[in-house]
Amino acid sequence: MNIYLIKQAYLSLKQKPIFVFSVVSTMGITLGALLCVLTLAYVMLIKPLPYPDQDRLYHVEHQLISNENAIDGRAFTYPNLMHLYNEQSLFEQSVLMYVDGGVITSLPSEPMVAISFITPQWFSLFSAKMAIGRGFEESEKVNSYNPVAVLTYEAWQDKFNGEANVLEKSLTLGGNSYLIIGVLAKSNIEAPLAGAGFKTELYLPWDYNSISERERKRWGNDDGGLIFVGKIKEEYTENSKQQNDQILTTLVSENWQNEVSGHAFFKGWSIALKTKSLKSFIISDGERSVYLLLIGALGLLFIACANIANLFVSRTVERQQQLAISAAVGASRAQLFRNVLAETGLLMFAAILLAQFVIFVGFSVLQYYLGNFLPRIDELELSAFSFSASILLLVLLTVVFSHLCLKMINYHALNSTLQSSGKGNGIQVSKRMRNILISSQIATATALVFINVVLYKDAIELVNQPLGYQTNNITSVVLALPNAESDLKAQKVTALKAELLAHPKVKNVSQAMRPTGFGTLALTAMTTDHRYTVLGKDIDDQYFNMLKQAIVEGENFSAADIKDDRSVMIVNDVFANKLAPNGSAIGFKFKNGVEVIGVVESINLPGTQRIESRFYYPASLARNMLLIEQHQGQIFNRDEMISAMKIVDKKLSLFSFITLDEYKDRRLFSSVTTAVTTLVLAILTLLLSGLGLYGILNYSSQMRRFEIGTRMAIGAKGKDIVQLVFKDNAGALGIGLAVSFIVLLVLYLGFSETLSAYISLDLLPLFILTLGAISLLSSLACYLPLRQFIKKPVIHSLKGSE
Amino acid sequence: MSTAILTLNNIGKFFETEELETHALKSINLTINQGDYVAISGPSGCGKSTLLSIMGLLDVSSSGEYYIEGVNVTDLSLDQAADVRNAKIGFIFQSFNLIDELSVFDNVALPLRYHADKPNSATIKKRVIECLEKVGLSHRISHKPNQLSGGQQQRVAIARALVANPAVLLVDEPTGNLDSKSADQVMEVLDQLNKAGTTICMVTHDPRYADMARTKVQLLDGAILQAPSIKIAS
Repeated sequence: MNIYLIKQAYLSLKQKPIFVFSVVSTMGITLGALLCVLTLAYVMLIKPLPYPDQDRLYHVEHQLISNENAIDGRAFTYPNLMHLYNEQSLFEQSVLMYVDGGVITSLPSEPMVAISFITPQWFSLFSAKMAIGRGFEESEKVNSYNPVAVLTYEAWQDKFNGEANVLEKSLTLGGNSYLIIGVLAKSNIEAPLAGAGFKTELYLPWDYNSISERERKRWGNDDGGLIFVGKIKEEYTENSKQQNDQILTTLVSENWQNEVSGHAFFKGWSIALKTKSLKSFIISDGERSVYLLLIGALGLLFIACANIANLFVSRTVERQQQLAISAAVGASRAQLFRNVLAETGLLMFAAILLAQFVIFVGFSVLQYYLGNFLPRIDELELSAFSFSASILLLVLLTVVFSHLCLKMINYHALNSTLQSSGKGNGIQVSKRMRNILISSQIATATALVFINVVLYKDAIELVNQPLGYQTNNITSVVLALPNAESDLKAQKVTALKAELLAHPKVKNVSQAMRPTGFGTLALTAMTTDHRYTVLGKDIDDQYFNMLKQAIVEGENFSAADIKDDRSVMIVNDVFANKLAPNGSAIGFKFKNGVEVIGVVESINLPGTQRIESRFYYPASLARNMLLIEQHQGQIFNRDEMISAMKIVDKKLSLFSFITLDEYKDRRLFSSVTTAVTTLVLAILTLLLSGLGLYGILNYSSQMRRFEIGTRMAIGAKGKDIVQLVFKDNAGALGIGLAVSFIVLLVLYLGFSETLSAYISLDLLPLFILTLGAISLLSSLACYLPLRQFIKKPVIHSLKGSE
Repeated sequence: MSTAILTLNNIGKFFETEELETHALKSINLTINQGDYVAISGPSGCGKSTLLSIMGLLDVSSSGEYYIEGVNVTDLSLDQAADVRNAKIGFIFQSFNLIDELSVFDNVALPLRYHADKPNSATIKKRVIECLEKVGLSHRISHKPNQLSGGQQQRVAIARALVANPAVLLVDEPTGNLDSKSADQVMEVLDQLNKAGTTICMVTHDPRYADMARTKVQLLDGAILQAPSIKIAS
């Protein structure tokens, strides 16, 4: 292909700005989205982990198997973890990790930081690079209790302002002082062992993990924060996974059974250890999300390609005369192809350039919004992969669209284009093909728009659903209390509550966790022995008043109930109905001696529509969680909170300080994202389909130009022509709608269980609305191409017919 | 006294581009009376087809006034123009402009289907058959245009032009796409129609067929070169 052809193509396209804009914007955005997702898929599914011998890195899962052979838990108990770490011989290097949060009290702002407690081999296993100082070594091995700390580069910059002398400093956390011995390099990529959203800021030696001495000795209590990762020895790589799992299981399970033999509860229970490649472990559920994103992006590309193909069909019809002249002056079929190829290539090149910008923006959006949900998303960047994929798509699409245009050109008939009536006998797309294109557009658009609208409705309902409790002006606070006896803690918290209530901005204080936080507890009915597994939380007597959650039967906790830690509980109406379906749940007793004294209205947790059985019980006075209600229009901030705490006790520190509105927004993030995404997708689908339908119908109208002109010449009015075209396309439109209905029906029948939450008769108006939107779109797509004929004197349509 | 069917007073047509203004027609004054058979001729690009398009309300003039049966039709809306075309004008095009998907019957019936007072099916059928008989093609009523020869297609186009009983037939190079034998047949049909009272205005560059008309109008550079010469019917 030479410069002349490209220049000709450029000049030709310059005359068609709307066509160029439609093709470049549609393909640019679509290809950008696809390349974004492809790169994400590559990073997550194909790209090796950036650690040495990554194929030998394994995560170990600890399964607690019940006497009914069911998996009761998938987390390590502390003693089992330590036993595995100390005794195993399968791995040449092994790492223990426990994640938690903490407050650096030695810094004036007392920032909350994410902490990973690790064993020294973490640094070599993950090939950690240091910006300054060193990582943990033999001197920080298990049970050495050497109080040192390593900062991440970000923590160094954010919390210590990038001070050069940071290595000479110490930080205080939970009453302990740690000497900073190193800072990780900026380029260091953290293995997301504790989930995609957890970004460590501070590394501390394993010995200082926040598990209590008591818990460290309990063989039956598992903890989801305990992580084991190891590099398997070369000689064991030949083993099957089952063989290696068995080696580890035997090591741990036999020892565990000896340790718990005195507990009747664990009779018949066992332990199983399961290895999983670190890469699979890190990806876990993210793989499904990536495949879904990939399907979505490919679907979008399919629609875009179908629509752009239609535009190319129209464009080729327009170029018929130009091609005919080229053929008449001796251009061969191959030369015509090069001509078409130059134009298509130029368009696709512009689209790919736009796509690069979309990718760049897309990576930022993905990292910002999905960083907490998808692992390895930080590794997204414009890379050799994204560049190669762009080039491949550029070549592929150029060839496909050029081939499509060429297929439309009947080379041997081109000459007659010049000689005869110019009725398009050189280029024809059969009516049948046109109808198939229209039907497929309508079917795809209707199905996609309806699905998106249903998801949008569901998401918007979640966002707007009444919660049943107040979130305005209330802040949830978690305190980091110094290690002390419970009574002393209670004194401190009581004093703090009094201090807070004396603050002019504070209206009320409740000693309870935020309303969305519950634990799962088992209760057994006194009379029937029926066992209930229910969500429960501890609260004080101010909680329901503050949140405006109505007591519908019985009474609220009294101050005495809380102070004396009485065996009483308040249940929500759902649980009350389970306890006493035909009567009152008040007075219902459980085997632990607790009695129901009140029934409270259920609340909706933000982001979920399921209302579960819940109960509330008196909180300990030493509870480290508070809800602070401010007076209307007042903002009680973090600094004021810290000041109040320091008045009570300088050792008190603040673990978290978040408003209930912020909690609500966080929980609704997924629903809001879904609402925005589905709305954008629905609009994009409508736009793309509109573009595609316009392309086909414009082509169709061009084909019928002289027929339309003739009809108008013999007396047809504009409305007659519009009616004619509508009537002619009604069949294809109807078939498209019917196909979409069948597709939706098949989806419903195939996935009725999964979709049952989304599908109901309430969707009928939405379906009608979708049909209305598609019909309007189709009508516009039918009408707009006709305007060029019916709004001008007839001679414009007949020009060239003679 | 003859009734004026078409009257053109100082009709002009010009096209504007960024750089220049091209006058396609300049002050055309022409009257076509009931029963006339007018041939408009002239060299290529002289404005013949433009004039015919304005006379047929396919295009609008830039200046002047135009009357059909005494009614000023210069500034009609597109829909009003469509009604006038349907009721008063029958068109015959060089390339026939039949609709391939429709049968001969449906092609001929088309103007009646767009009529303001759409006749019933029986009337349409009767009228279509009458017209096809006039052009000698009633036996081809069910055929599609592509099953007919060029001459036959043009005769179907004539039948279509006649079906709504127009005041005038406007004919644009009726023989341009035909061999001489077919062309002669078509011209014969037109001649018979005129003799039966149909008013015809025809654009042609073929002097042989122009001579068949009773009135000849010569156009050059958008202006009438000479006053209409009237041939006395023999």
